[in-house]
Amino acid sequence: MTLSNQYREQKADSVTTGTPSEPDQHAITDWSGTVGDALIDDPRMSTRNVNVFYADNQAIHDVSLDIGKNEVLAMIGPSGCGKSTFLRTLNRMNDSIDICRVEGDIVLDGDNIYDKHMDVVALRAKVGMVFQKPNPFPKSIYDNVAYGPRIHGLVSRRAELDEVVETALRKAGLWDEAKDRLDKPATGLSGGQQQRLCIARTIAISPEVILMDEPCSALDPIATARIEELIAELSENYTIAIVTHSMQQAARVSHRTAYFHLGKLIEVGATDKIFTSPDHKLTEDYITGRFG
Amino acid sequence: MTDQSRNALERLAANKHERLNARLKSRYNRERRFRAYGIASIALGLTFLAILLTTIFSQGLSAFWTTYVKLDVTYTPEVLYIDDATDESQLRLADYDGVIRQALSERFPEASGRQTMRNLTGMVSTSAGYRLRNRLMENPDLLGETETLWFLADDDVDLLMNGIIDRNLPESERRVNDQELEWIDSLVSSDQIERRFNTTFFTNGDSRDPETAGILGAAMGSFYTLIVTLALSFPIGVAAAIYLEEFAPKNRLTEIIEVNINNLAAVPSIVFGLLGLAVFINFFGLPRSAPIVGGLVLTLMTLPTIIISARASIKAVPPSIREAAMGLGASKMQVTLHHVLPLALPGMLTGTIIGMAQALGETAPLLMIGMVAFIVDIPGGFTDPATVLPVQVYLWSDSPERAFIAKTSAAIMVLLAFLAVMNLLAVFLRKKFERRW
Repeated sequence: MTLSNQYREQKADSVTTGTPSEPDQHAITDWSGTVGDALIDDPRMSTRNVNVFYADNQAIHDVSLDIGKNEVLAMIGPSGCGKSTFLRTLNRMNDSIDICRVEGDIVLDGDNIYDKHMDVVALRAKVGMVFQKPNPFPKSIYDNVAYGPRIHGLVSRRAELDEVVETALRKAGLWDEAKDRLDKPATGLSGGQQQRLCIARTIAISPEVILMDEPCSALDPIATARIEELIAELSENYTIAIVTHSMQQAARVSHRTAYFHLGKLIEVGATDKIFTSPDHKLTEDYITGRFG
Repeated sequence: MTDQSRNALERLAANKHERLNARLKSRYNRERRFRAYGIASIALGLTFLAILLTTIFSQGLSAFWTTYVKLDVTYTPEVLYIDDATDESQLRLADYDGVIRQALSERFPEASGRQTMRNLTGMVSTSAGYRLRNRLMENPDLLGETETLWFLADDDVDLLMNGIIDRNLPESERRVNDQELEWIDSLVSSDQIERRFNTTFFTNGDSRDPETAGILGAAMGSFYTLIVTLALSFPIGVAAAIYLEEFAPKNRLTEIIEVNINNLAAVPSIVFGLLGLAVFINFFGLPRSAPIVGGLVLTLMTLPTIIISARASIKAVPPSIREAAMGLGASKMQVTLHHVLPLALPGMLTGTIIGMAQALGETAPLLMIGMVAFIVDIPGGFTDPATVLPVQVYLWSDSPERAFIAKTSAAIMVLLAFLAVMNLLAVFLRKKFERRW
């Protein structure tokens, strides 16, 4: 709360005192590596020198970043900065794009996930993903949550599956609303409920890392608030990497924040540090609203 | 610069109202005209459809009724030239027409002379003899007995009863002469002739005699042919579409395949007939005129339609569903089978049924593989000689007997009924499987 207040004050400050000026392109050419503590001890997932290309266009430049255990890492940056692309490399969702090529090391549990022996199905059972737009399957609520455990063969009995579904829905804060309509189509839920269902669906396979790609951008403020509470609760058990356009959201939910700019990781640090005293000029410009 | 543009905007604002209104009027006029064009084209289409249906129904409905003549027939052994009705070889050679001739001359004793007798027996369908043979084969005890039976009348008698032959025409211009007219009137006054529902039309195969010609042979031929087409083209088409959409790498080769599939849809159907003749009949030695070959040829023709529509419906599945499943760790196969296929199925089914309807109405390629033969027997399997409904329409429309005009239209009605049922099925399936997301 204090954090977001500070942020608001800062923003108000910059509006009143800041003079409209051209975005400072000068700093980009000076870029000589990520500022801040991108690397940490004992990370859950670590990336080293990651480059991503779409055909000949390089979308990600030499990103090295660690994600700590039970940490919420927010990735912010202006549109097209590569934060979503980077997020999607973490569970190889970019594989389905033919022209996309990934270089560098991304290590989870001691294995490079881009190693050719790595099974992408097994990887995605460890690294779950929640998307920008709620995308429940056009099936019943129960079947949506049960789908992951079913395809991976994680449960052997129906009673066990029932339990998994209930627990996942409870953790996603949807159980009370959904328990009487488990066999009803998931598409009948509201947008916020659908997104919580998608989160329940993701945690039903008990992933180690949950990737969230702007999970609240299609939701109203109340639904957003519920998802944010949920993220805070989930961070007790899971590692969460979240891409967001909303700096308030990043400030509210995350422990660490990474700022991306034009495919480069500019600055990483504890969230309160990034939002109060960023070291890099670009980060400062972005969080004070000069551009974005 | 800014001053100038401000002046321009001020000038614009000054007479904005009048110009806007003037423009508005022409815009609305244009919209009204556009609507009128639309309504006109729909009206035109409906008019043509109405004309088509009216013509077919007015001509074809009469074929569903036919004239029967009641006669007392006596199975006289001397007339039949047999003495034992249990002996099949005797029954095969017996003179059943003699029995009909005798029955008719008993009814009209005044008829005499070779030509007159020929005209008299000509009033009853030539199928009457077969009917008597069948009766006698089933009940040998009937030999020597008399029974009253309704026989199919000759097609000309039926046309007269139906009013298609105008009895007021001079004798030389009408197919039924004055004496036959007298006989018919006599039969009418004694209630020995009447028009009834034509069950023969639905139970018989083709015939040279219009009164005994039926649609069942062609309908069964169409049925077997379409079974083969459906059994082959649906799985092949869907598998090809799924592979091309979901699995195939996007490269030059798949592009060439895609272009070729689209081209294949535009190939004239007779070319497929020639291909079928060369490959299936000449090379693989499959039987001529058989539904299996017809089905194979129509499969070739229908495949592009099914593949294109199946690909379109796969493309229409939202990528978010695929991503959701992939994000949960579903394999490519699971994504396709669990999510893409169920969502694409209504569209695939619709495309398939439209392809089937096309195949049902297809004539040209089947001419090339001999399904245009005159086949009396009703096909009982995939390799029996058969013809199909549209070819039957073609054959009957080509026949010289006047009664075949009505048969042709009736056959078209049966074909249209088949098509309507299939289209309704398509709508039903689409509604049933349609899901929202």
